[in-house]
Order: sequence, then C-alpha cells, then structure tokens
Amino acid sequence: MIGRITYMELRTGLKGLLIFCLLVTIVATAMPLIFPTYRDSITEELEGANKVNLELPTDEGGMITLSWEPLETATSYMVMEDNRSSMVTAKIKYLGVETSITFEKDFEERRYYAVMAEASETVNPVLVGIAATEKGDDPFQELINNPAYSGLTGGRSISMLEVKGFMTLEFFSWWWMLAGLFIAYLSVSVIGSDFENKRMDVMLSTPISRRRYLLEKFSAMSVIALFIVLVAIGGFAGGIANINALNEFSAETVFLSLIGCLPFLMVIAAVGIFTAVLFQKVRVGMGVTFAFVFAEFFLYTFGNFSKSLEWMKTVSIFNYWDYSSVIFDNLFKAGDFVILAAVAIVIIIISIWVFEKKDIPT
Amino acid sequence: MEQEKAIIIENLTKLYGEHVGVKNLNLSVDKGEIMGFLGPNGAGKTTTIRSSLALISKTAGKITIFGLDSHRDAVAIRKKTGYLPGDFGLIPSVKVKSYLKYLLSLNNFPSTKKMTSLAERLELDLDRKTNELSKGNKQKVGIIQVLMADQELIIMDEPTSGLDPLMQQEFYRILRGEQKQGKTVFMASHNLAEVEKVCDRVAIIRKGHLEVVEKIQALQEKTGKVLEVEFSDPVSIDEFKIKGVSELHEDNGKLTLTIHENLDSVIEAVSRHRILNMNLRTYSLEQLFLKYYTEENRKRGDA
Repeated sequence: MIGRITYMELRTGLKGLLIFCLLVTIVATAMPLIFPTYRDSITEELEGANKVNLELPTDEGGMITLSWEPLETATSYMVMEDNRSSMVTAKIKYLGVETSITFEKDFEERRYYAVMAEASETVNPVLVGIAATEKGDDPFQELINNPAYSGLTGGRSISMLEVKGFMTLEFFSWWWMLAGLFIAYLSVSVIGSDFENKRMDVMLSTPISRRRYLLEKFSAMSVIALFIVLVAIGGFAGGIANINALNEFSAETVFLSLIGCLPFLMVIAAVGIFTAVLFQKVRVGMGVTFAFVFAEFFLYTFGNFSKSLEWMKTVSIFNYWDYSSVIFDNLFKAGDFVILAAVAIVIIIISIWVFEKKDIPT
Repeated sequence: MEQEKAIIIENLTKLYGEHVGVKNLNLSVDKGEIMGFLGPNGAGKTTTIRSSLALISKTAGKITIFGLDSHRDAVAIRKKTGYLPGDFGLIPSVKVKSYLKYLLSLNNFPSTKKMTSLAERLELDLDRKTNELSKGNKQKVGIIQVLMADQELIIMDEPTSGLDPLMQQEFYRILRGEQKQGKTVFMASHNLAEVEKVCDRVAIIRKGHLEVVEKIQALQEKTGKVLEVEFSDPVSIDEFKIKGVSELHEDNGKLTLTIHENLDSVIEAVSRHRILNMNLRTYSLEQLFLKYYTEENRKRGDA
C-alpha cells in the first residue's frame, strides 16, 4: 500500500538513499571495468608459470617428462606433486640437480607439479613454475570447487578469466551484504525510530490503523529496494557495456540475475520491520536483523558442505536467489522469486499481528 | 443521556505486571466541557489517556468515546479526536509547515487555514526546520497539531509545558474559543492553577485511583485560597476570625490564612493595617491532597 506515509518516508530518507545509490553505481560500474586488467595480469602470471614444461605421454600408461629452465643461482631443485593447485597436500616428487625428470603416468586425475629452486645464498626455495597434467586451468578453479565457495556458483566450475566467473565471485559474493545490510538498517530504523523518538503516539492518533502504518512502511522499503536493485542493474550493465562484454554477459542476464535479489531484500526488510515492532528499539532490532542475515548466509554455506547438511539450504533465503543459474544456465527461477515474496508477506502479516497486540511505549 | 457524554470510562484497570497504572477508574467527560485531569507525575493520567486512544491495551474495563468502543473502533474515534502527547517527537529536517501538512493529510483534512491562524496567534514561524526548534516552539507545534484538524474532542497531556506565561495565556484563550465552537477538551495537568484558570470541572487522580471529580468552583470553595500578608507591626489573629476563614497563623507581623468565602471582609480587615507585602495564591497540588486527606480522615474519625 503506497500512501502518504510511504511518500514521507521516501522524502525524508531521500538524501541517504541517493548517497547509497551513488556508492552502488560506483561499485557496480567499476567492477566490470577492473576485469580486463585483472584478466591480463592473471594470464601473464600463468604464462610465467610456463617456464616449466610438461610433456604428456602419447599412449596410456606412458611416461611424463617434466623439464624447466635452469636457474643460475640454483644449487638444487625440488619438484612437488599434488592433485590440488593450492599444493596444500603436496609430496616431494624429486630432489636433485637435474633440470628434467621423467616418470610413469600411473594415475587418472589431474596433477600439479611445482618446481622449486634451492640456492645456497637464500634460505627459502624460489618457485620456478607450476605445470599441470591438464592444461587450460587457472589457479582459482579448485578454490571455486571447494564446498565452502561452491554456494556462490551453484557448485559450477567457473573461470575467473571469463567475465561471468569474475563477476560472480567479485560482485555477487558481497553484493548481498551491501544491499542486504542497508535494507536491514533502514527497515528497522524507519519503525524503531518512530518508537524511540516518540513519534508513534502522534502518528497513531491520526485515523491511520496500525496495519496501514506497517504496510506503508513496508511499501517504502520495497520501493527503496527496487530502486537500489535498478541502480545496480544500470551500473552493472553500463560497466559491462564499457568493456564491450555484453556478448558474454548480456543486459538481460544482468537484469534477471539482479532482479532476483528484490524479494530477497524484501524478506530482509520484513524481518527488520518485525524485529522493530517486537523489540521497539532500533539497536536490538538491528542486531537481530543483522544476525538473521548472516545466519541465513551460513546456513546456505553449510548446506553446501555435504548431503546430510543440505536441509540447511532450504531454510536459507540465499537458496532462493540463484543468480548463478541465470548467469551460467540462462535459467531464471520465477518460482524462487515467488517463494521469497510470499515469505516476506507472511512475515509482514505476523508483524501486523504483533504490532496490533503490543502497547506503544511512552 | 449517553449522547451528552464525550468520554465514558468504566472500571478502567491497567496493570503493568505488578505495577498498577490505574485501578477501577470511573470517569466521564461531558460534551462541550473543558475537563481537567489533575494528578502528580506517575498518578495514572497518561495511562488513562493512552488507554482511551488504544495506544495501550486495558487490563479490564470499558472506555467509550462518542458511543464508540475505544479499542474496537479506534480508527473511527481518531477521526473525531485530536491528541497531544505529553512527550512527542517531530519528523526531523523538514519544515514545520510540511510536517503539519503531512499530519493534516493523514487526518484527511485538507484546509490549512486553521493551522496558519494558530501559528500566527502562537507566534510560530512555520518555515523553520523541525530540528531547529526550542522546547517552547516545539510545544507550539504540538498545540497547533492537536487543534488544526478541527476535531470534536481534544485530548492533551500537559499541553503548556515549556510555554512561557504569555503564550500560556494565549493558549487558554484559544481553548475557550474552541469550547465556544462546541469542542470538548480533556486535558491532563499537574498544575492546579492552570486547571482552575481554564477548566469547568476537574478530576483528581492519585496513585492510579480517582480521588474526586468536582466543579472548579466547588473545589475552590472547599480548598480556598491562601492569603499571605506582611504587616509593618504585629497584629492580633482575632481580628481575622471571619466566617469562611481558617488556618490562621501570625508570626511577628506575618499573617497566613485560608479563605473559603467572604474575601471582601478579609481584605477590609487587612486594609486596617499598614501592609508591606501581600500574596494570594492557590494551593499547590501537594497541599491540596494533604487537605483532602486530612479532611477525609477527620470525617472517617467522626463517623
């Protein structure tokens, strides 16, 4: 319900909203602009790693030859082997003075080899380079496959060297926090401050029912959430257009991936309103609402850890804003959109019920 | 008969856990009268008012305003009722004019005529920002807010707090004007002198109980006024033992007495001596209670 209270809320909060939207525009536009520089530097780094040459056997069960450019200062070389690029579980494959080794390929999966040079005058070995049995991968591949991060990509393998992968990790992974916490803050304070600044008595002595009051405040929050999302879409699409990447990340994809966070933000606004009418204090309401947002995030993250924890995902609002399926599969889940909107409405109905029961504090 | 009443409060009880807000309070306000609601801080005035406006729930009892149930028909009642809380905040960083227009729009009352004329009478600049107002000016905004939508019933909680004496006088004049137009006013106060000046009747509440409902005139006759005179020389109190005068004290030329009636005879007696100073004052609320209680105890003792 949009009425005079909604209008007044938008009017008095306009300055703060515009400043916030300026920030949103800057980050949403700047993020794609950073991408080409980022890609170039990573590509360069990967090429640098090509100082190590790995020759795969032509037939099955053949020999792998690993060779590297000799380093003048080196007294000996060490080759580490791991099936993760992060080399956290590496074993020493070779220690010696040769600059090439040959060994049998007695495994199926991808393996990484890091060649280190030990020099007499230095204490720590120097990295000569890294090579892998399967080429074309970037070092972030595995990080993304880690269950702790797979929530961000829906468990997909994505490449940071593509604009889609880059934006998914560098924009969407924190955008929820920026927009979500802003909406949480606003929604608690638009009602909490009416309590704390003793405006509620005058407000509710006009012929405005408590129900209408809450609905109008919620409308104001929904309008603000929509505005923020639209500004982000505009900034994001502008940035993508600026680096001529609209063929990779279309404007439609930008729109659909971000519009999905509108009902997500509306749920947060509803929770903010609920805590404000329940506790009638800005600080308490804000603490609880912030805790809710983070708890939901962790539920979603833990839900990705294993099958037995999967139920956690279903109770997390993050599960119903699947931007990665829009970005990678061109699939917009309208059902999820409706579920979040329905949850927001249910929370608002409960808030109205609580508000109508409770005394207004003096 | 029901139609003559603006507010009927029956057996109102409001408990805050163990603490009693008000207990079994019965009170009615006639249409067209200015009713004062007097009591010390924490007596239950605000609780009674806020229950009437459904801002808080009741523990027990019934409140009817213009024949409508206070809680069931709250929105309908608020169309006919203006309310000025004892403590209120304004929307910050907007012009007073915008704030008041906003409240007018919530009241579905488009005319700003009364708002402007009240602001003129109270000497308030409507173009000032709400967060730049002094306490007195903020109170003026409250007074304009409660009267500008021309509602039938005006409920106010300590309406003159923070107003300077000149503005208080203007406010009383405004209230009497409202009464002439048939409005009903119910105002809480802890200032007996203020209630005496402007109200037709007064209800006195203490510790959540209604002590007395009285016409102002009757109250004044009962309590009387205190006259303090300082003479140049000591006087005999026998001279002032006139009908309607009580509680005579004389100490080296300083005379204190309470007058219930025959003020003219007292003045005549006083004028026979050389006066250095003279003061006629109303009882303070505390003294009033003391009087009521000692009288009541005496009555009980007699019975």
